[in-house]
Formats: sequence, structure tokens, C-alpha cells
Amino acid sequence: MATSSRTIRDVFVVLLLLGIPLLLLRSATQDPHRLSPFDRTVRRIGGPLEAGLGYAATTVGSFFERWLLQARLQEINAEVNGENRLLRLRLRELLRVEEENRELRRSLQMRDKVAEDMLAAEVTAFEQSPYFRVLKLVLDRGDRFVLPGMAVLADTGVVGRIDRVTDDRSDVMLITDPRSKVAVEVARTRAAGILEGAGEDHCIVVVASETPVEVGDFIQTTGVDDLFPKSHPVGRVVAVENLVGDQQRLEVLPAVRFDRLNMAWVILASAPPPDSQAELRRAQPAARGLQPLR
Amino acid sequence: MLSASLLIALGWILTAGIAGLSHAFSITLVLPATSVILLCHVAFDRERSLAAGMTMAIILGYLEDLHQGLPTGTLTLAFALVYLALSWLSLRLAVSGSIVRALTALIACFAVDLLTWGILVALADPLGISREGLRSGLRMIHWHALATMLAAPAVWGMIAGLDAFVRRRRRGTKSANPGTQLPFRH
Repeated sequence: MATSSRTIRDVFVVLLLLGIPLLLLRSATQDPHRLSPFDRTVRRIGGPLEAGLGYAATTVGSFFERWLLQARLQEINAEVNGENRLLRLRLRELLRVEEENRELRRSLQMRDKVAEDMLAAEVTAFEQSPYFRVLKLVLDRGDRFVLPGMAVLADTGVVGRIDRVTDDRSDVMLITDPRSKVAVEVARTRAAGILEGAGEDHCIVVVASETPVEVGDFIQTTGVDDLFPKSHPVGRVVAVENLVGDQQRLEVLPAVRFDRLNMAWVILASAPPPDSQAELRRAQPAARGLQPLR
Repeated sequence: MLSASLLIALGWILTAGIAGLSHAFSITLVLPATSVILLCHVAFDRERSLAAGMTMAIILGYLEDLHQGLPTGTLTLAFALVYLALSWLSLRLAVSGSIVRALTALIACFAVDLLTWGILVALADPLGISREGLRSGLRMIHWHALATMLAAPAVWGMIAGLDAFVRRRRRGTKSANPGTQLPFRH
């Protein structure tokens, strides 16, 4: 009797419990606009409960998701870091190549700009003053290629002259050296003068003050010394001092940054004079096929 | 015996963990139904009354419904019915050993999936579900069951570990209880 009453109770409880999912399913299948009062009650009770449980489920789920993702992200991060390191190395190499390419392009343009016979030389060393100003450059060309006194140029301007030559290298006397003298002119006024080195990083030139020179005027070579090509940039006027006797003393800052120079050009020979007969000597090509009968 | 709340909490954590895992690794098919394994444990350990076990089945099913995004009540009903079947089976069969447990989980998972599928087919019109989609979903059931079978020994081991931990804690609390110690002598 006791067993049967327990069985009946179990059956009753099971049926009651089975009613819960059935009610939930019934509520899920109902049109939300036409709910019976019973369904509405079920929704009213179940809604907040479901929302709360849903929120908790999402939170717990997202915690695990984040946890797993973090482990995965760490692996990805390590991979990306390695890749980044390689790319940085590659970028550095590319920047070096780009700089080299730019330099070569400038050198090619230099060939077009200057008609003189030139020899490219690499700057292998430089001597500095106690104030870190460049006093002397050393080129990788020895006495087989260059001679003392030859002019040295860079794409941005005049560098100086070959001073001393050994078997495999040559020293350059810069235009800032007090021994240096270069025939120059003011690009705007054409006032000529001799540019002398004043040590450290500037030069001095004295010119006639018929047309006053201003700060910022450009100084270029005249080419009268048969050493430097004509109209090659030398520097920029940074200070003007009026002297007695209609003269101006100009302080010039060289156009070339000697400390950043990697490549220079040595002028081996002056440009040949223009050939006035060249046009006449050019052979006229004979027309073929369609020339008139003679 | 593990308390019902602990088992439900474990089931919930596992369900959420699997959901997170599936999202993180973009796996949708070969995912184990950990709640079904828990359901098997509840049915076959025979330490609870039918009503308590059924309540747990309903709660586990409801949590699965929420996590899987199914219409509320679908998995709840399937879990309740499968629990009834497993309880009836537990009176006739004993489940012990990893292989038998894994096979039990496989069968239970098949049963839950087929029941869920049946409920969804029956309510396809009011729920607005395409029957074509359900038919294609039926072909994937074996992957789900296979994953559940593979995960069963691990989950069962986890339950056993948790049970042992809880027992140790209870024993420790009992021995530390001043009521069980000798009174102080003044």
C-alpha cells in the first residue's frame, strides 16, 4: 500500500514537472499579440527569470570565450611579433636601399648637370674639430686616379680640392679651410669675388657693393679658375658687412653638409670648348626610295 | 553525493565553456553535449528521488535551451523525457567503467537530439522553422553524439573529482566541529 502510494505520488510529481516544459513550449509557440491570460501570466513570471538567466548565461559564456580567446590571442601575438621583427629588419634594409638609390639617382643627375670629366669617389673618413665641425674628408681614390689640386664636388655644391694623395686614398681640403680659395659670384647680382675659408663651418668673400647683396643670396662658382665648373652652387649668404671703399664682406655658409656626405665627384679634366663646326660636319643622310629623279 | 546545485553549476559552466570554445574556434558540429552526460550521471547514480532528478533534468535542459538559442522548452522537454527513460533503465542496468559510460552518453545524446528534432518538426509551423533545414540538421546528429561519447569519460571523471573534493571538505569540517571534540577541562 505504501509502495503504491509512493508510486502514485511519483507519477503525480512527474506529470506536474513535465507540465513545466510543456507550458514553456506552449508559451514559445503563442503569437505574442494574442496571448491567453494564462500564457500572459507564464510570460510575466518567466520573462524576467529568462532575462536574468540569459544575462548570466551570456556573461558566463563570454567569460569563457574571453579566456579562450586570450590564450589564442597570445599565440597570435607571438606570431605577429616575430613577423613584425622580420618586417622591421626588411624595412630598415629597404630604407637603406632607398637612400642608396636616391644617392645614385642624384649622382646620375650630377653627370647630366656637369659637363666636365668626373670620377665618383666614396667618402671613407672625415676629420673633425673639437666642436664637431668637419675639417677634412678622405676619399677612396689614390694617386692612380686623382692629382692634388683637382676640384671635388657633391650634388648639392662645391666640396673643395684634393690636397694630398697617397696610394689608395686622397685628402680633401674643404672650402672652409683657411688655405682654400675659389672664384665665385653672387648668383643674383653677378658680383664676383674670391671665396676664402674661415675655419669651422663658414667662408668669407669680399665683393663690390654696386648692387647690394642681401642675406640669403646664393653664391656659385664662376668657372674662371678652370678648376670648378661654372655656376655650381657654393653656399648661401648668412651675414653681410659693408666695408670702406664700396665693398661688402659676405659670410657664406657652404651648401654641402660635409658630415653627411657619402659620395663626392672629382673633376678630372675641364669640359672641352664647344665645337663651332660640329653642325656643319654632320653628314646629311641620303633619302631612299622617295627622292626626286634627277 | 554531490548536491544538486553543485551539479547544475558544473553543468552550466561546462555548457558555457563549450559555447565559448565553439565561438573561439569556430566549431559548430563536433561539440559535446556535456549536460547530457550529467543527465546520465544523475539518472544512473540512483542517489536522488525521481522528482529531484527530474527537476535537475528540467533545469539543465532549460539552461541548454538558453545557451543554444532554441525555443524555450524544447530541450527542457527532451531532457525531462530522456531522464525518465534513463531512470527506468537504471532500475535494470548498471553503468560502470569508461566504455559503458561513454556508450550510455552516446545513446542518451542520440535520444535527446532525436526528441528535440521531433519536437521541432511537430512545432515547425507555429515556431516558423523550415522543415528542410531541420531535415539537413538531422544528418549532423551523429557528430554531436560522437563528440558527447568522447567527452563522457572526462566529464564523469570531473564529477568524480568534484565529489571526492566535496567529501574531503565535509570530512574536514566535521572533524573541526567543536561539538565532536572532547570538552575542555578547566
